[in-house]
Amino acid sequence: MSEGADGVRVAECDTQHGCITCGDEALPMRVRRIDEDRGLALCEDAEGRRSSVEIALVEPVAPGDELLVHAGTAIGRAA
Amino acid sequence: MMRYVDEFRDAELGRALAGEILAGVEPGRHYKLMEVCGGHTHSIYKYGIDDLLPGNVELVHGPGCPVCVIPMGRVDDGIAIAHQPGVIFTCFGDMLRIPGSNGSLQDAKAQGADIRMVYSPLDALRIAKANPDRDVVFFAIGFETTAPSTALTLKRAKAEGVTNFLVMSNHVTIVPPLRALLDSPDLRLDGFIGPGHVSTVVGARPFEFIPADYGKPIVVAGFEPLDVLQAVHMILRQLAEGRCEVENQYTRVVPYEGNRRALEVLAEVFALRPHFEWRGMGFISQSGLKLSDAYADFDAELKYAVPGVRVADPKACQCGEVLKGVIKPWECKVFGTACTPERPIGTCMVSSEGACAAYYNFGRFAREREVV
Repeated sequence: MSEGADGVRVAECDTQHGCITCGDEALPMRVRRIDEDRGLALCEDAEGRRSSVEIALVEPVAPGDELLVHAGTAIGRAA
Repeated sequence: MMRYVDEFRDAELGRALAGEILAGVEPGRHYKLMEVCGGHTHSIYKYGIDDLLPGNVELVHGPGCPVCVIPMGRVDDGIAIAHQPGVIFTCFGDMLRIPGSNGSLQDAKAQGADIRMVYSPLDALRIAKANPDRDVVFFAIGFETTAPSTALTLKRAKAEGVTNFLVMSNHVTIVPPLRALLDSPDLRLDGFIGPGHVSTVVGARPFEFIPADYGKPIVVAGFEPLDVLQAVHMILRQLAEGRCEVENQYTRVVPYEGNRRALEVLAEVFALRPHFEWRGMGFISQSGLKLSDAYADFDAELKYAVPGVRVADPKACQCGEVLKGVIKPWECKVFGTACTPERPIGTCMVSSEGACAAYYNFGRFAREREVV
């Protein structure tokens, strides 16, 4: 774990889980809180890691929704 | 663990599906299926999916790892920008270790360039806002999965009037390299496992040319072990029934028409380059994205002179053949000896989605598999 640019704890790239940004794979994350002013949502993955996520492509979202997040952007909804 | 994931890792269901696949294959026929996406390559090796398949069903790896297809010349161009006075250069972690012709970004960082790893382009924009007297360049890379993230960040930068945020775009599109592969005479494929998360953005429709023009099945698939097994089953069933069409195994996530808002933002922020170089595959027409005229002020390549020199891949490295599925990672002359994840020669050994790194990390003990 390390500090991301905004102080949110994020995962290192590692070969066991795959790189969270560089591959063609998105991760399911659950919406915890929505920051309407900035158009971002604070989301949490299955292992409790949190990051702020761009939600322009999947709005409207509500806390509890599960999103597919890739490179800090929600590109779809996880079923 | 989320329910979402557990359902698709059930070992009992996996064995049952493997049994159905075995019952459905024609003995004596060899099936060669390509998984397009590096994320699938990673899952296949991580979960040992190929060990569950009959010996005559072979999975070959495609060009779908964005890090692996970056040619050396583009790395050199990025390093040249990173060395410009006052520049903060940002990129994803995997990019740092990709060798250019004269070292990697990591080496440039050791030599004093201000290079920072980010997890999203939004992180890079934040760095730009915190350093208004410096130019912050984001080395953008990825297929249509990642390109919307770059596009939305550029829209945000424009809306907020941030003028010191720049992008060096290396984004690529998935259809042109697939067409190039299908036109390649040295590769005989029976079907494709389609990329699940590229398709979340572009939909399944863009792959219709594969059955229409080339008569091959493609099944868009998710990334859990059962997703991949089910996709293999669906492709083999199409072949057995003499069908070829686009099927969507990943309907829980992928809409057939894709994400309309994402496609709109891509069309606004990016424009197709006439051609773009792919490692091991050469120049492919209309396969790369540059910033559109409306976003020219944010284009790092217009602001900074880059060498733009084409650099041949190292002779010993066979990433090109690996990326086209012509050889397996372990058939490369330098695999696991001169080329390892710690000291990569080729791009495929760097990213965890790269076929060589995935195989090196997960699959190296199971490689003696008899092909019927």
